[in-house]
Amino acid sequence: MKSRNHELVDRLAAEYALGTLRGRARRRFERWLVSPQVGALVKAWEERLEGLEPPLQPVAPPATVWRGIEDRLELRKARSPSRWMAMTAIAATVVLTALFAFFALRGPSGDVAPPPQLAATQLGLLAADPQTIYWRVEVLGENQEISLHVHQVHELPAGKSHELWALRDDGTPVSLGLMPHTGDHHRVLTASQREALARSKQIAVTLEPEGGSPTAGPTGPVLLVAPLSAV
Amino acid sequence: MDRTDALPPEIELAQLLQRCAAQDSAAFRALYDKTSPILFARLLRMLRRRSVAEEALQDVYVRIWQRAAQFEAHRGRPLAWMVTIARYCAIDLMRRERLTLVPDEQIADVPDESAAEPGEFDKPGNFDFCIGQLNENTRKCLTLAFVEGRSHDEIARLTTSPLGSVKSWIRRGLLALKQCLAVERQPT
Repeated sequence: MKSRNHELVDRLAAEYALGTLRGRARRRFERWLVSPQVGALVKAWEERLEGLEPPLQPVAPPATVWRGIEDRLELRKARSPSRWMAMTAIAATVVLTALFAFFALRGPSGDVAPPPQLAATQLGLLAADPQTIYWRVEVLGENQEISLHVHQVHELPAGKSHELWALRDDGTPVSLGLMPHTGDHHRVLTASQREALARSKQIAVTLEPEGGSPTAGPTGPVLLVAPLSAV
Repeated sequence: MDRTDALPPEIELAQLLQRCAAQDSAAFRALYDKTSPILFARLLRMLRRRSVAEEALQDVYVRIWQRAAQFEAHRGRPLAWMVTIARYCAIDLMRRERLTLVPDEQIADVPDESAAEPGEFDKPGNFDFCIGQLNENTRKCLTLAFVEGRSHDEIARLTTSPLGSVKSWIRRGLLALKQCLAVERQPT
């Protein structure tokens, strides 16, 4: 029985690596990948099939791709802040006024995030109960951006991350990135995230391995779910 | 094109990945500059539409950044590791976008293979022998699945074969390949 089971898992690992394991079956199998034994079977298949890789002529992607990656990973803050500095220099007074208005409206908060340019259209409060709100999530404009505000710090075990998901009406969760633990954050969404959010009435937070789910879908327990309501 | 330009040295890529694991965004940019044309070509081969492949490329590098710590440097092969991430991202995107089969004559974006040199990737010494042992149908099914990301259904349509046959060719082909590769036989 045990060896039959091993054979079945190995067959699934093979079709996973080949790419013919699809849809629900693929997602179910991805949950097993946390097991080192299953991971090793998949890895062995990936190496076996590598010989099928076609020779390809490299194609340079457009510059917009890198900018999108920077936005999604919020790498721009780590880079030279020339764009924000230039804007600030040109319109220092305006920006300062906006920042004052921003903090006056929101009350004291830790981080200084660039104020969002778009109006909030939807709001989701990720809370355990009405008194215990952990994050406030605002959807800005027509799902172009989200703004995240930490109300109360949610407990986080070492080596884990909190990940935010748009719960599409068809039941597929789509990641909106990791959750911050201090201050205000502002994130530009990708086309697929925008599209997912447009078809979602709820958002959720799950507990994932550090750095986020290793798969396309959530792998850990759902901690909080909140409806999105129009502002 | 010079091969050294076309294929970045693996050791350098492995070092860049290790720096990415330490959240070094300059290393990430260097890694992107060196590898994105290869991964973009691979994604175009599977997704066949430029806009979709561009979106997939973002997903791929977000995953690479998040998972850089999982790359096992001692096992080497950073490019193979990244290409696998790209293939899986493409498959996930196909599901999400419910991409339908695009007839080949409508595709303008698929990168040209004829100009590229083979052998960019390591393969087991006896791989060519073992793949050659499979029958024509099986080889075609495996290639369509792996290279183009085609599903069982699509392969059945493309090869005008019954779905059941396609599934069993693939299942038996994979098993035969595994058994053959396990034997330390060198090509003659």
